[in-house]
Amino acid sequence: MSRPINNSTPSPVTQAAVTVALSIYLVGLVLSIVGNTGSGSSAVVRTIKSRLFSPWMVPPWLDLGFDYRLTYGSDEDGDFSVEVRRQGDGEAAPVRLPGQLTGERAARWRRLARSIAVEDTDRDGLLAAAVGRGMFDDVGADDVTVRVLRTPLVDRGGPPSAPVQASSARVRMVGGELQLIRAEPRGEVAPLVRSGASGDPSDGGTGSDGEATR
Amino acid sequence: MNTRSSDAARPPSSTGGIAAVGDAWNRFWFSPADSQPLSLVRIGAAAIALAAWWSYAADLQAWFGPAGVLPADTVREWRPPTGFSLFDWAVTPLALNALFVATGVVFALLLVGFATPVVAPLAAVLWASLLHRGPILAGPADDGLSILLWCLAIGPAGEYVSLDRWLANRAGRPVPAAGWRASISEGLLQVHATAIAVGAVLAQLKGDVWWNGLAAWYLVTGPRSGAAGLVPLLERSEYLTNLLTHGVTAFEILFAIGMWCGPTQQLVARVGLVGWPLVGLLAGEPLWGLAMALFALPLAVRR
Repeated sequence: MSRPINNSTPSPVTQAAVTVALSIYLVGLVLSIVGNTGSGSSAVVRTIKSRLFSPWMVPPWLDLGFDYRLTYGSDEDGDFSVEVRRQGDGEAAPVRLPGQLTGERAARWRRLARSIAVEDTDRDGLLAAAVGRGMFDDVGADDVTVRVLRTPLVDRGGPPSAPVQASSARVRMVGGELQLIRAEPRGEVAPLVRSGASGDPSDGGTGSDGEATR
Repeated sequence: MNTRSSDAARPPSSTGGIAAVGDAWNRFWFSPADSQPLSLVRIGAAAIALAAWWSYAADLQAWFGPAGVLPADTVREWRPPTGFSLFDWAVTPLALNALFVATGVVFALLLVGFATPVVAPLAAVLWASLLHRGPILAGPADDGLSILLWCLAIGPAGEYVSLDRWLANRAGRPVPAAGWRASISEGLLQVHATAIAVGAVLAQLKGDVWWNGLAAWYLVTGPRSGAAGLVPLLERSEYLTNLLTHGVTAFEILFAIGMWCGPTQQLVARVGLVGWPLVGLLAGEPLWGLAMALFALPLAVRR
């Protein structure tokens, strides 16, 4: 189907208004890319973007940095899954997600699992608590362990690796109050220094079972 | 700046630096453009939207329901303060299902091109709302789709290959003349195609694996790769691994630049129609690859 191209153009006022709108948006687009790349953009750029542009670019989901690295071959690029099981019941079958799911549906569960392991630590376990709470009915208990497992990427010429625990937290309901008890990696627990001990950090004793209470 | 319409439609150029820039700006954004490519983008974007929407369907209540793993209160603390979702108000399973189904219906209407001037912006609003309800679940394809839908909301995306067109034909209404709104939409698609390619390249070049050539290995052995069949080949040949890695980077750079060079513009856009889906397949983000191809579609099919 063809049609003649005519010269219909907007009125000067419309053209000016659209030009202003486009210019503002394009500045916001550039600032979004510069400010969202995580490359250490200047505080000025971040402040300008967050004060002037984010308020109207966030709601329509346009405040995007497009920092699609695809992979860095790092731990964070591994395969993440979330596992919820009844606390203290090693016999009970855990709920594992994405499990055997495939496609975009599985990818969304992976992103959730990755966020719990990578980003949630800065947010006081907000997501882990929510996921544990949301899984109470599925596992039939109000005291559960939420673990995120990470299957490391296979190095070239190397053997496949078994999944490792990326994060773990106990989530329970006590007296109507939701509690999160996060298991910190042993390496992040300060060594217990006893009087009379050698004081040599290489002794390696943590003096705890590696579980810390928030 | 290159124009996207025929030379005949260009107004005469002014002399002088600022005037020349102004002329180029006006030619790029305001020269009347045929909306037929935009209609093709509409069909592709709506198909991707339906696939992405469907990926929420089975777990909708598990994620966003009253007893779901992502309660609205938790998500509000997670997302930016200005984030907003209509789905926050769907606090019962019935309301959540109803709003979700309505979103699917809107995407289906966009696919067939019915009441497009109303449906296209509605689709963009509903999609952004769904993403804001669970920003943790969103990926690159969702970002690309959001931009595509907003571009469709601006321009006349329902003038061809649509129920709107069929109804207009039955009523004896003529095909509308080319207009500047199509030009704005298609210009924004071109700008975003470049922005996304640049953003991706900048992010990738910060990682060693994109310099030492190993990125392709980690992509094909990754959890979501659609190119796992390449593993034996890459295992045998380091050169092939390097070639594939640097090929992806080179493609993205050439795409970002070539989309703005008159002589190469259409060729690069056509290569993008094939190249982006392949990159998406390699990276385990097939919907993102398809969405990226749609950004290149108007330039690729322009006569």
